[in-house]
Amino acid sequence: MSEIEVRGSTVGEIPGRKRLVVIAVGAVFWTWLLARWAYHNTLLDRLFTALGFPDLVRSELGYRQQEPWLPAAPFEAVAEAILSVQSAFGPLEFLVGWAAWPFELAAFATTTEPALASGAFITVYLTILSMLFGLVIAVPLSVARVYGGPILSGISLVYTELIRGTPLLAQLFFLYFGLPLASFFNGFAFVGEGAIPRASILVAIIGFTINSSAYQSEYIRSALQSVDAGQLTAARAVGLSKLDGIRHVVLPQGLRFAIPGWTNEFVYLIKYSSLASFITVPELFRQARNIGSDTFQFTDIYVIAALFYLALVLTTALAMSKLESAVAIPGLGSSARRD
Amino acid sequence: MSLLRVENVDKSYGDEEVLHDVSFEMDRQDVEVIVGPSGSGKSTMLRCVNRLTEIDDGAIYLDDEEIHGIDENDLRRRVGMVFQDFNLFAHRTARGNVTLGLTEVLGLSKEEAQAKADDYLGRVGLAEQADSYPAELSGGQKQRVGIARALAMDPELILFDEPTSALDPELIGEVLEVMRDLAEGGMTMLCVTHEMGFARSAASTLTFLDEGRIVERGPPEQLFDTPEHDRTRQFLGELTDLH
Repeated sequence: MSEIEVRGSTVGEIPGRKRLVVIAVGAVFWTWLLARWAYHNTLLDRLFTALGFPDLVRSELGYRQQEPWLPAAPFEAVAEAILSVQSAFGPLEFLVGWAAWPFELAAFATTTEPALASGAFITVYLTILSMLFGLVIAVPLSVARVYGGPILSGISLVYTELIRGTPLLAQLFFLYFGLPLASFFNGFAFVGEGAIPRASILVAIIGFTINSSAYQSEYIRSALQSVDAGQLTAARAVGLSKLDGIRHVVLPQGLRFAIPGWTNEFVYLIKYSSLASFITVPELFRQARNIGSDTFQFTDIYVIAALFYLALVLTTALAMSKLESAVAIPGLGSSARRD
Repeated sequence: MSLLRVENVDKSYGDEEVLHDVSFEMDRQDVEVIVGPSGSGKSTMLRCVNRLTEIDDGAIYLDDEEIHGIDENDLRRRVGMVFQDFNLFAHRTARGNVTLGLTEVLGLSKEEAQAKADDYLGRVGLAEQADSYPAELSGGQKQRVGIARALAMDPELILFDEPTSALDPELIGEVLEVMRDLAEGGMTMLCVTHEMGFARSAASTLTFLDEGRIVERGPPEQLFDTPEHDRTRQFLGELTDLH
């Protein structure tokens, strides 16, 4: 047996000092974001009010409201100080402009963060729910595909290829305007009340769940196929039914193999959830676009929004690599030394 | 009354005939060893007995009951199997490998299953390795877990499908020793193996299978020392020279 360890290259494996910097930046970002959500968040406010704690969380701040915990003035002052010497640099004055830009961006950010934070909450909320509901659908889909007879595996194949073969945006439009699910949900008095989010968010969750289940089932299918066939044979030879063998022997191994692929789908969905902005969901991208339309500072607001997405994606990758090592079994899957 | 009766079994994979008119009987506590060149249908014969493979024609009786009249999961609970490649559940410890069938098939509680698993792991000399995962065990240890897993189900018969063929030579002895103990303890065993020493000393009956047909069957001394067929003499002679 060789002693070569096969390693991934996700943020989970960043070495030494760089790792500390990543963790410190992440800690500051998440402390702020969680505090912001805990303080001003419409969905949480409604949830806690419904549970009998009306004053725990306040409604969201509007989309051009100043971040109350961080003033814009110091950043504006630094930017102005830098720009005041600009004329002395003649043809190179644009370099001074670039040097001042991060401070202008920071000042701008303090006036837009509350709105982006509430958008990020919906992005996270949409993504996590859709991933989990998608997983619930994807597991039986992939089992049907690998172990089902011609009919079940055929149904699974058609579903998967139909969903993967059409654009996600078209699927959202079909659900929202075509069916139309939005007006269907709005027919119920409880939609948009209490803990139930508004109709557009419900439609987005349904759309992303359907879409994600198809992709997840492909990742899980290939993971199931990499489980040695002798494993199910051995389960059957002990007297387990096929379904019990799949449940107790194949899935516990296959789902572990699927974690890296599943992580990939997770980070895709974080970014693709921005398509919900087209069906009026006020998630991160829509908040940024609205601020851009209002201020005409499109570049600035998209850079800030991009940093939000980056933070969410890196956090997810880190959490999933932690999950992978937490459930790792000696000799099984990506933690295994290859012979 | 015989425990296992195989009558005129035929089996083909497509055009290739793997078993042709195979018939034999085993009594309780018999140790039947099947030998033969590779591709002779030995493993297929074994897998027909617990219906991992279905026969094309003929009949197989377990305790005078035709096995196709028995629920297949029930049949497999009664007929244990030990594999050439061990096929231990890779995500479960040695103990977990033994308990799965106990809890899910026999319906034992978790505590009962663990106590029974530890008992059987102790019998195959692996009490210390109960918490180890398959990847942390040697080949010989893996196969002994495989035997404990089959044994703990209290089977009426255990099928051994070349249990030592995937092992390094120095690890074969520990597995054969466990098998000898089982044979002496009165377990009914149907073994496919190339271990001629084991066949000679532990088998009650030796069967030589070639090209899907039983060429010769009888007490091991007879097949080794005074075989009726040249083909038997030739095959057993070659193997005995090798080992």
